[in-house]
Amino acid sequence: MHLAVYVLRRLAYMLVALFGVSLVAFVVTRLLPGNPAYMIVGVMADESTVIAVTERLGLNLPIHEQYFRYIQQLASGDLGDSWRTRNPVTTDIGARWPATIELGSAALVLALAWSIPLGIVSALRRRSFSDRLANALSGFGVSIPEFFLGMILLLVFFATLEWAPPALGRTLGDVPPHTTGFYTVDAILAGDWEAFKAAAVQMILPAVTLAVTVGAPMVRVTRGFMRETMASHHIRSARALGVPERSIVLRHALPNVLLPVSTMGAIMYGYLLGGTVLVEFVFARPGIGKYAIDSISESDFAPVLAAVLLSALSYLLVYLIMDILHFVIDPRTRT
Amino acid sequence: MTGRPASPVTEDAPLLDIESLTVGFHTGSEDASMPLQGVNLRVPRASRMSLVGESGSGKSLTASAVIGMLPEGAEILRGSIRLDGEELIGVPKRRMRDLRGRQIAIMFQNPRASLNPVLTVGGQIAEVIRTHSDAGRRESQLRAIDLLDQMGVPDARRRAGDYVHQYSGGMAQRAALAMALSCQPDLLIADEPTTGLDATLQQQVLELVVEQVSDRGASLLLITHDIAIARQTCERTAVMYAGRVMESGPTASVTSSPANPYTTALLRAFATVDEGRMYAIPGTVPTLVGPLGECPFASRCPEVGEECRDGVPELRTIADREVACVKA
Repeated sequence: MHLAVYVLRRLAYMLVALFGVSLVAFVVTRLLPGNPAYMIVGVMADESTVIAVTERLGLNLPIHEQYFRYIQQLASGDLGDSWRTRNPVTTDIGARWPATIELGSAALVLALAWSIPLGIVSALRRRSFSDRLANALSGFGVSIPEFFLGMILLLVFFATLEWAPPALGRTLGDVPPHTTGFYTVDAILAGDWEAFKAAAVQMILPAVTLAVTVGAPMVRVTRGFMRETMASHHIRSARALGVPERSIVLRHALPNVLLPVSTMGAIMYGYLLGGTVLVEFVFARPGIGKYAIDSISESDFAPVLAAVLLSALSYLLVYLIMDILHFVIDPRTRT
Repeated sequence: MTGRPASPVTEDAPLLDIESLTVGFHTGSEDASMPLQGVNLRVPRASRMSLVGESGSGKSLTASAVIGMLPEGAEILRGSIRLDGEELIGVPKRRMRDLRGRQIAIMFQNPRASLNPVLTVGGQIAEVIRTHSDAGRRESQLRAIDLLDQMGVPDARRRAGDYVHQYSGGMAQRAALAMALSCQPDLLIADEPTTGLDATLQQQVLELVVEQVSDRGASLLLITHDIAIARQTCERTAVMYAGRVMESGPTASVTSSPANPYTTALLRAFATVDEGRMYAIPGTVPTLVGPLGECPFASRCPEVGEECRDGVPELRTIADREVACVKA
């Protein structure tokens, strides 16, 4: 199949999927108890004010009409306004999503860096030290809740050892001039080493926390695929013809393992980009996850819907990119 | 173990000489299973030998032992495997790897699974060539194309850049043969090379294997469960049962006038239809736990006598062949 046709078709599917997600999310938020009008005007306001605000927000209309209006809004790129922050949601998200992407990307890189090599090495040497280490670390990472690990890290590295700075947002130094919204990248672009250090240091503990919990299942998946591949007929054949072990592992086995593992990596990245609520909370990082939770608890519909859509969009985009990569890398999808 | 002194390599010394090869699985307990119970097999130079037997008789395990790739947990307990006079048991890993592909090569059944799905077919052949020679990338690639062409892969130049999923079963087996023969091995072991191919392709592939092996002056050890294939391709045949060679000799005489009752039974099972029903050898294969104390076929043999229970019969030379049966 031609790549362009493939991508177009996938983009069309993506629109349909987003439409579905928006519908479900819209209905669910509207079915939640609590009228945002009360929250806006406050408990002391009289009935007529409440009615007026309800009407202004369109909350008195039948739900399908409300949804229709929302979709029209979306089509023009408007995600609505947050009454809590009194900003357009697009502005709020523009300020917060970079924080989430920055952290998620750092966490993913760290997770891949430890989980794939460990998975590969432990698959090659059964019952060796690395195999036991892989078992222990992945078991730990799979079973410990993110927020709890985050708190332990804070307790050890901030409260006890005092190596880490207090977990107070994205930076304790200067905010670098805005180019990409990623503080670390902006600091490098501005050549401000101090600002980079201040931003990076705030990311270490949350990124490590996520890298442990996200990397743990990847160790297991990598090890599983590697064992399977090493036991396959084609590896046996290559060995039987004297191909050296180094090439067996790196050239013959690794690509067969990285294909499925990269899909898993994409799933994890999609999860990270949707905002990791608990870690953002523990480390007081103003990301999408924290934004969504703060909004839910105050019946602030527009940001919640936007966060859900954004999360869905990140998954779909990451999957799409992954599939395009596979299309290019894996000879079996071509032909 | 007969403990023969290492004979000097002479012209009539066999290329592959397996003696009393005994393989066991160490299970930790006393009654470890012993799937190979003293295999004796000689493959002369520039000859074709088939190894015939039921599944579980130890044919493939014998091949694995020769290339030093026994499955995990299996261990050679006794015996010797000599290739061109060189003892292979206990040979350092490095040396074994050097021999694989260059002196002994093996091709397995299911050729599509034995080629890597994410590397080009030509690239895989070229890598084997580079492993065993100082050919560069370009040269090895050209040689790979040439080999594919020799094996009858049409449009070899283009097909070398294809992946195995783009090959049909027959073409994939040709490519696997090209890879196995790429470094001029003296011995090609083909383990059920045509299982899964349809009858016409089977014929073509077998003919090709025979032709290519003979042209190179190499020897073939063909592992098959099908006596008809052995008849077509190999001048000599060894029949295996329960981890031992029961009879070996010229294929024509082994299959026309078997000297071992087991061979007779196996041939009968292969004769298509017998009075409207297919013949099955009565009884079951003995469980191979520890060394056997009697002829492994004794419990199923129609000609069994008292003397068959007195010990495991050794291979004896009788006329043109070797037979492991006290009655022969």
